Amino acid sequence: MRINFRLNGETITTEIEDSMRALDLLREDLGLTGTKEGCGEGECGACTIIVDGNAVNSCLMLAAELDGTSVETIEGLTGSDGKMHPVQRSFIDKGAVQCGFCIPGMIMSAKSLLDKNDSPSKEEIEAALEGNLCRCTGYVRIIEAVEDAASIIREDRK
Amino acid sequence: MTFKLMIPNTEGELQQELMDDEARILAGGTDLMVQMRSGKVAPTRVVSIKKLERLKEISDLGERIRIGAAVTYSELQRSHILQEKSPILLKAIRQIGSLQIRNRGTAVGNIANASPAGDAVLAMVLSEARVEIMGPKGERHESIESFIIGPGRTTLSTGEYIRAVVIEKTDDWQSLFIKVGQRNAMCISVASIGVLRKGKEVRLAFGSVAPVVVRAHKAERFFTREGIDGTKLGEFVERCVESISPIDDVRASSWYRRQVVRGELMKIFGHPDVGGTDVT
Ligand SMILES: Cc1cc2nc3c(=O)[nH]c(=O)nc-3n(C[C@H](O)[C@H](O)[C@H](O)COP(=O)(O)OP(=O)(O)OC[C@H]3O[C@@H](n4cnc5c(N)ncnc54)[C@H](O)[C@@H]3O)c2cc1C
Ligand code: FES
Ligand code: FES
Repeated sequence: MRINFRLNGETITTEIEDSMRALDLLREDLGLTGTKEGCGEGECGACTIIVDGNAVNSCLMLAAELDGTSVETIEGLTGSDGKMHPVQRSFIDKGAVQCGFCIPGMIMSAKSLLDKNDSPSKEEIEAALEGNLCRCTGYVRIIEAVEDAASIIREDRK
Repeated sequence: MTFKLMIPNTEGELQQELMDDEARILAGGTDLMVQMRSGKVAPTRVVSIKKLERLKEISDLGERIRIGAAVTYSELQRSHILQEKSPILLKAIRQIGSLQIRNRGTAVGNIANASPAGDAVLAMVLSEARVEIMGPKGERHESIESFIIGPGRTTLSTGEYIRAVVIEKTDDWQSLFIKVGQRNAMCISVASIGVLRKGKEVRLAFGSVAPVVVRAHKAERFFTREGIDGTKLGEFVERCVESISPIDDVRASSWYRRQVVRGELMKIFGHPDVGGTDVT
């Protein structure tokens, strides 16, 4: 079937198999390998993307369900001028990245939170990242990075 | 995982698609996608309900609230009527999966999936939910307790689907929902307990300790008739434990699950003041 959607601001029209997952469309057909596959069953969050503003697991969604939506992936966060999104910047500055496997998903969950709420409490950050597992960092620096990104976003808005 | 995907524009078309025995509805997909990947189910047709706008409605029916089949957990959490009138459902939803799961998963999917660990199911059992079913012979309604007949089994027959679930408003009851033995939001608990209490009336339901989510009707009647002062508390708790039939599995033994339930109930109802004052 043919689907039509917005991907990181661009219009995509593509032919897909009915049973293809959104994750496979992104990684295999469109070559966007920033979105990762960890568990493939909704547990780890490595495949998190933003669809119409909401963080979702792309391993649990069919590609066909993206039809008519607006999708954001990690690849869309860096501007065409090469400037990183505050969440990306803060993850690096705060040393929140170790092996990096969980990071694209973490960042998408964090972005979806900060798009809705630029002054989240620590509890709100934890709740937003509850579906993103990290085997390396112990989460402390990740939470700090999101707090830092929130303050940068608030500054930028002033 | 290979199937043909149908995306009907009307409920009439949905009905048609479901006349095929091998067809399955796709709501949020948080159960179905996992089950198809593992090969547990292998439908030849998958029917998405995403274009059926009428299934996305939450409506206030006065004493009751109607929740359409395509309403996600996140939408329920944002709904003012749910926030005000069904604290128990919101407490249960808060403990389901992760934000990503709640952004896609539906309460009706939780019912259709009929897991003994269904958290929304537990809250809906306490809210005396009625399932609104549509099928080739028209509409029928059934209480959630009789609708779910076993793990993964309901009374749905070929061509039938759930259109909505209708729950009682329970804002005038104190409510409590706990998952026991859970390390974090993402792991399945060894048992879950939900309580509604209004004066001498109580409703209790348990998850993961029987083939289906169970209501402790006998214990509830005992509570109203005898109260739980002194030695009555122990009797009440034993009646609750009689209503469950836990199994041994990788997460816990049946003996352990009984102990967990007993221990939690003593904590909840054995408060030094009147039983259950910590049920808030
Ligand atoms: C990582 C993870 C964590 C989870 N955590 C929890 C948890 O903490 N607590 C919990 O209770 N559940 C949990 N679940 C299970 C799942 O998210 C829920 O059961 C959810 O409510 C299912 O809804 P859905 O819309 O995604 O259903 P789907 O997957 O779309 O459907 C589930 C089943 O119901 C059928 N179905 C759906 N809608 C209808 C309808 N209208 N009429 C007839 N049949 C229908 C489908 O055909 C399918 O067989 C978890 C799942 C995952 C992957
Ligand atoms: S790969 Fe999707 S949640 Fe793990
Ligand atoms: S940095 Fe390695 S899994 Fe998170």
